[in-house]
Amino acid sequence: MKKPKNALKNPFRRGFIAILGNEKYQGFTIPLFAIILSLLAASLLLLSLGKNPLIAFRSLLQGSGLLPKASYAAKKNILTDFMSMLNILTPMIFAALAVAVALKAGLFNIGISGQMLVPGFIASITVGYSKLPAAAALPLVLIIGIMGGAAVGSLIGWLKHRFNINEVVSSIMLNYIFSYIISYFINTNYIDAVSRQSRYISANTRLTLANIELFGLKMDIPLGFILAVPAAFLVKFLMDKTRVGYELKVVGLNKKAAQYAGINVGKNIVMAMAISGALAGLAGVTYYLGNFNSIQPRVLSSLGFDSIAVCLLGNSHPIGILFSSLLITVISKGSNYMSSTINVPQEISQLITGLILLFSACGAYIKHRVSLAKDEIRDEKLRLKQENEEGDRV
Amino acid sequence: MNYIIIEGLAFALPLFIIAIGGIFSERSGVTNLALEGFQGFGAFAGAAAVMAISGGNLAGIETPMFITAMVFALLGGMVFSMLHALLCIPFKANQVISGVVINILATALTAFLTSQFNTVLFGKPTNKFVLGICEKFTVPFISEVPVLGAFFTDVYYYQPIIIAAALVASYVLYKSRFGLRLRACGDNPHAVDAAGISVSKLRFIAVMISGALSGLGGMCFAYSISASFSPTIYSGYGFLAIAALIFGNWKIGPTLLACLLFGFARSGGYKLAQVLGLTSAFADIIMILPYVLTLLLLMFFSSTNRAPRALGEIYDKGKR
Repeated sequence: MKKPKNALKNPFRRGFIAILGNEKYQGFTIPLFAIILSLLAASLLLLSLGKNPLIAFRSLLQGSGLLPKASYAAKKNILTDFMSMLNILTPMIFAALAVAVALKAGLFNIGISGQMLVPGFIASITVGYSKLPAAAALPLVLIIGIMGGAAVGSLIGWLKHRFNINEVVSSIMLNYIFSYIISYFINTNYIDAVSRQSRYISANTRLTLANIELFGLKMDIPLGFILAVPAAFLVKFLMDKTRVGYELKVVGLNKKAAQYAGINVGKNIVMAMAISGALAGLAGVTYYLGNFNSIQPRVLSSLGFDSIAVCLLGNSHPIGILFSSLLITVISKGSNYMSSTINVPQEISQLITGLILLFSACGAYIKHRVSLAKDEIRDEKLRLKQENEEGDRV
Repeated sequence: MNYIIIEGLAFALPLFIIAIGGIFSERSGVTNLALEGFQGFGAFAGAAAVMAISGGNLAGIETPMFITAMVFALLGGMVFSMLHALLCIPFKANQVISGVVINILATALTAFLTSQFNTVLFGKPTNKFVLGICEKFTVPFISEVPVLGAFFTDVYYYQPIIIAAALVASYVLYKSRFGLRLRACGDNPHAVDAAGISVSKLRFIAVMISGALSGLGGMCFAYSISASFSPTIYSGYGFLAIAALIFGNWKIGPTLLACLLFGFARSGGYKLAQVLGLTSAFADIIMILPYVLTLLLLMFFSSTNRAPRALGEIYDKGKR
């Protein structure tokens, strides 16, 4: 950026700084600015392929049920698309919240996939293959999700606390270990000969009501979504208003200071990982027993890794995460429709997601530039004022 | 036994070179979770260059093409790593965030470019470049020595390259002036700055080295395990390398041991499954061996583990 001689002369720049410079709203305006920048970059990319970016973005919204499509198949309309988008969104919100909680305590939970898989598998084989009625099965699935995830999470926390094993390493190792062990059990006991996945769970135990006839439409209703939004507010409450949350944050900011203040650091590390794991477990059950109804052996869901980025895009803020999850899900869900309307490869949507994340990662830099520019404008104003006063005196 | 050593080395050495890349970056104070993306992008660059030059017909020109692939993988990894360096150093982004983002971007970008490339070049939008397996050689005489000889039997061409690169890298890191400064950057960047050396520049170079070495490692995996470039290259080698280097306490020597452990435990597991005549389902159980072993060893050894002091911190001149 070139420095103009007189910072006050460019009204465009001044307006820009005035909007972005308000510290009260920066948590919101700067990510938004980054997203706009990245959409511009994505537009350039689409233009270079000879495609109309506006049609592309509209198709993304249409494909995810936020705008009506030109035509629909029988028993489908905008609501069915929207519901199936929510179906994908639900585990994403839980997983990103899981990353956020750990991050607040200064821990980097890269093992979300493993913490999703374990409760997903346990719930599938215990409840999923049973004949329980929905009223009994669904709460049980959720409880298994929370407990299973929390168990894996606290194991990682405990390894860190007791043996000083870096949580990144232990969670990567555990990811592989669980993935292989579960793949073994699926392949030996629960395999479906045709799909090469675990057998489908019974419809009663699924957290998504699949292919339900409602208002003359056939749609999927994700029950987990009812919990996902309150979960975000609950995490916010936990972090901002409770002692547990406060201690976690202090440990995350400065371990030594926390210790000095009499906070049990080890307990809090385990606690943070347990909460994070529990949320990841909820993501796991809404993913494997909701969004899908079986488990593919030897595959760790990429959702576990994407959720890290989604969390960071939402500034690790629970409410921000609701929006960032929505954005990323809309792009990935809508990509199918986009590739059919403008005939581009589906990988484009991942690329757009990548660009958004890339520009959002520069948020701190944008903030830095804005505050520099703000100082510059302030200095300039001060100088002009002084000059005027001197002029008056003369 | 021979099988274990041959296959173990073939897996351990590419992992090792990626881990060395990670060590360069992390010892200079830049957390590098992007190794996974670097190795994938490097492999893509090498494979794409081979496809562009040979036109898809590799018969008869395997060796020159192999060298081309190596060179381009090195360059590709280096160029791509500049993105991470750019985000982390001048743009002051959180280094963990940047790493994750780079990985996601690498997966998306290479998948997209591969299908574009294949469409333009061969008219079919597949996401795969078929490369075949790198040639092997056997050193005469020495290879006949029992046990030890296995280290010289069926050696992939890339193995001596990696060993040479590793030797040069450890010389640079531990014996050269540049290496001393680099290591100082990770522990006390203010001291480096006070000595009149640009911390940003040094870290930038360190990240680029890590990109180049990771790219090389990724290319080796593409030329051995998968025999092609496809999105399966992103199956966690980079993360495994990170685990190895943390296990190795950010030092090159112990990291080699960690990589060998991964390699031998992996090939040993396969061999065991083969000998016992187990089905592929049981092989899964044996495949957890390297990871369980690592966790157990870490329980004993990681109490003394110490990361570079300024690792992950954005360098701020004014800070004390």
